[in-house]
Amino acid sequence: MRLPVALLPLMLATPVQGETPLRVTTDSSAYCGELAARVSNQPGARQEVVRNLAEEGQRLCDTGHVRTGIAKLRRALRAAQGMGG
Amino acid sequence: MRILLVEDDAEVARFVKKGLMEAGHTVEHAANGRDGLFMAASEQFDVLVLDRMLPGGVDGVRLVETLRGQGNRTPVLFLSALNAVDERVKGLKAGGDDYLTKPFAFAELLARVEALGRRPAAEVPTTRLKVADLELDLLSRTVTRGGKKIDVQPREFRLLEHLMRHAGQVVTRTMLLEKVWDYHFDPQTNVIDVHVSRLRHKLDKGFDKPLIHTVRNAGYMMRAES
Amino acid sequence: MPRAEHIHAPPLIGLLRSASGRFALFFTAFFAAAATAAAVILWWNTAGALERQVDAAIRADAAALTDRRRMPTVEALAVAIEDRLALDVQNEALYLLLAPDGAKLAGNLEAWPSEANAEQPWIRMPLLRDGLVSEARILRLDMSGGYRLLVGRDVAEKLRLRGLLSEGIAWAASASAAIALFGAWGLRRALERRLSPVYGTAKEIAAGNLSRRVPLSDRDDEFDRLGRIMNAMLDRIAQLMEGVRGVSDAIAHDLRTPIARARAKLEEALDGARDEAALRAAVEQGIADLDGIARVFQAVLRIAEVEAGARRAAFAPIDLAPALADAAELYGAAAEARDQKLVSDLPTSLPLVGDRDLLMQAVANLLDNALKFTPDGGTVRLSAELSPVLVEIAVADDGPGLPQEDRARAGERFFRADAARSTPGSGLGLSLVRAVAALHGGTVTLGDTNPEAERPGLTVTLRLPVG
Repeated sequence: MRLPVALLPLMLATPVQGETPLRVTTDSSAYCGELAARVSNQPGARQEVVRNLAEEGQRLCDTGHVRTGIAKLRRALRAAQGMGG
Repeated sequence: MRILLVEDDAEVARFVKKGLMEAGHTVEHAANGRDGLFMAASEQFDVLVLDRMLPGGVDGVRLVETLRGQGNRTPVLFLSALNAVDERVKGLKAGGDDYLTKPFAFAELLARVEALGRRPAAEVPTTRLKVADLELDLLSRTVTRGGKKIDVQPREFRLLEHLMRHAGQVVTRTMLLEKVWDYHFDPQTNVIDVHVSRLRHKLDKGFDKPLIHTVRNAGYMMRAES
Repeated sequence: MPRAEHIHAPPLIGLLRSASGRFALFFTAFFAAAATAAAVILWWNTAGALERQVDAAIRADAAALTDRRRMPTVEALAVAIEDRLALDVQNEALYLLLAPDGAKLAGNLEAWPSEANAEQPWIRMPLLRDGLVSEARILRLDMSGGYRLLVGRDVAEKLRLRGLLSEGIAWAASASAAIALFGAWGLRRALERRLSPVYGTAKEIAAGNLSRRVPLSDRDDEFDRLGRIMNAMLDRIAQLMEGVRGVSDAIAHDLRTPIARARAKLEEALDGARDEAALRAAVEQGIADLDGIARVFQAVLRIAEVEAGARRAAFAPIDLAPALADAAELYGAAAEARDQKLVSDLPTSLPLVGDRDLLMQAVANLLDNALKFTPDGGTVRLSAELSPVLVEIAVADDGPGLPQEDRARAGERFFRADAARSTPGSGLGLSLVRAVAALHGGTVTLGDTNPEAERPGLTVTLRLPVG
C-alpha cells in the first residue's frame, strides 16, 4: 500500500508535447554582433566595466559559447545604460 | 361481604372460595386477569383477592393499576409466590392494600380479608373505643374497665387499640407485628404471645369475662362474649 | 463448541474487522489526509506560485507594450521590443510582432506558431534554442489594424524548479504516509498486545475455567483499570455462583431432613392413628411442620437475596435507635416470661444509611438467639454506640458461650454448635446477620461476655459504617 512513487515523474512531465518547437532567433552568433553594435553606440560604451563585459561577451560568442556571450553583452548594455548589472 | 377472587390455580381457588363461603361471604371467581378486570370494574365488591401472576396478558399488578386509574377504590389483597421485597413494594405501589405470600394459612387470609373489608368508608374520627365494659380514651391515653383505671405501657395501649378497632375480627400474629411493631419479617418464635398474654392478664384481673380470645391456629380476637 | 477464530484472515479484511485495525486505519487516513493537505498547500504556495508569477510578468509586459500612450506607433513598439530583448540578461523573454500581411516586424521568435491561432490567448509549447529543447509560455494579443503580437517567457528553468519542488514534496508526503502506516500498524499491535490479557482471560473463562483472572501490569493505565474491573466483576460472579450453590446445597441437604420427618409423622399417623381426633392432630402437626419448612426455606432465600446485594437499592438514611428500642421491647416480654432480664443501653439517636427492615431482623435474630441460650434468670444486654464513622451494636448473653473452634463456622448456614443441637431453631439466624452486615459494608464479631467466668457467655458485635 505504499504511495506509487513511480508515478511522481508524471507530475513533472510537460503537459503539452508533440508540436513542432518554436525556434528562437536570438541565440545565434549573429545576434552577438547586433548586441556588440548596440553597446558601442551607447554613450557609456567607453567605461571600463562596459568595455570588459563587451569584450568578454564577444570572445565567448567567438569561441562557441553563444548564450553566455549574449548574456555578457546584454549585461554590458545594461551597464552602459547605467542600469547596473 | 362480596368478595372477588381472581386466581388461575384451580386448587387454590377452590380452597379459598370454599373457606370464604364457609365464613359467610359471597365469592365470585375469575380465572384470568381480563375476566377479573371486567368483573371488578362492572360489579360492586367489598374486597378483591388477586393472584399476582395471572395468565392472559393482564397480571395482578396491571389489573389494580387499571382499576385505580378508573377511580375504583375497592380494597385489594395480593396473593403471590413472589416474596422478594421489591415485589411486595411493587404490588403495594400499584394500589394494593395488603400482600400475602404463598403458602399461607387460610386463617391469615380470612383475617386480612375481613380487616380490609370492614374498613369504614369515611373514617369518623373517634376519641373513644368501647367493647363491653372496656373503654379506651384516645385523647388522654387511658384504659378503664368497669370504671376502674388500668395501667398499661404505651406499646400495650397501641396493641389494645388495634384489637379494639378490629373487635369481632381475627387479628393474626403477623398482622399485629406489622401494625403495632412495624416489623415486617417472620420471627422464628412467637414473641407476640407473651405481650398479648401480659395485656390479657392486666385486663382480666378481677373480672370474670375475658375479652381477648385466642383463636386456634389463627391469632387473637377482641370480643365481648366468650 | 465453535472452532477457534481464524486469526490469519486476509490482511485488509482482517484490518477492517478488528476494532484496533479500524482505529489504526482511521489514524492513517487522518494523518495521510493532513500530510497531503500540508503538501498541497506547500506546493500551491511554491511550485504553483511560480507559474502564476510567470503569467503575471507576461501580462504586465504585454500591458506595457500595448499601452497607446507609450507606444503611439507600430515603429515605436518594434523598437521597444528590440530594446527589451537586448537587455534581457535572463534570456527568457519571447516576442513576435507581425504586420497584417504576416511580415515579421520585431521579436525573437522565428515564425507565428499554429497554436497561437487557437481560441485561447495563452499558449504553452516547446521551444528550440540553440539546439536545446525548452518550453515557452506565450500570450497572444490582437491589436488594432490587424497587427498581431506574441509576448512570452521561457519557462524551462521554472519548470525544472517546479519539478524539483514537486518531487521533494511528493517524497515528503510518501514518507509521511509510510510513517503513518507504520505508526498505525504499531498502534494496532500495541493495542492488541494490551488487550490480549483481557481477551485471553475471557476466552479461558468462556471455556469453563472460572478461576482465571486478568493479569495486570504495573502501569495502572486504562487497560489495567479495565482488567481490574473485569476481575472484580468475575469475583462477584464467582461469589454469586457460590451463593446459589450454597442455597441449593442447603435446600437439598438440610431441608430434606425436616421434610422427611414431617412425612414420617404423617405416614405413622396414617398407619397407626386410633381415631379421628388423633388423625386430626396428626394433620395439624403436619401443617405446622410444613409451615416450619416454608419458614426455613424463606429464611434461606432471604439470606441469598441479601448476599446477592439485591437489597442495596432500598438503602435510605434511618435512625436505628427507635428500631432497636422496639426490638428490645418486643423481646423484653418474652424474656420476662422466662424470668430473664433484657437490659438495653441505647443512645438517643443512631443515624446511618441502610435497610431498616433487614437491620431489625438481624438484631431480632441476635436477641432471639441470646434469649434462647441464656438460662432462666440470666441477663441479656443490648447496647449500641455511635462513633463518627461506625455504629456498633452488641448483644451479650450470659449463657454457655461459643467455643473458639465453633466461632469460625458460626456463620455457616444451618450450623449448630454441638451444645445447641437440642434447642429449637434452624441455625440460620447468624447467617442472616452476617449477610446483612456484609450488605451494609460492616462486620460481625463474636467474643466472650465474661472471659474469666466458667460460663463465659457470647457477645455478638455488629459494626456498621455510618454510610
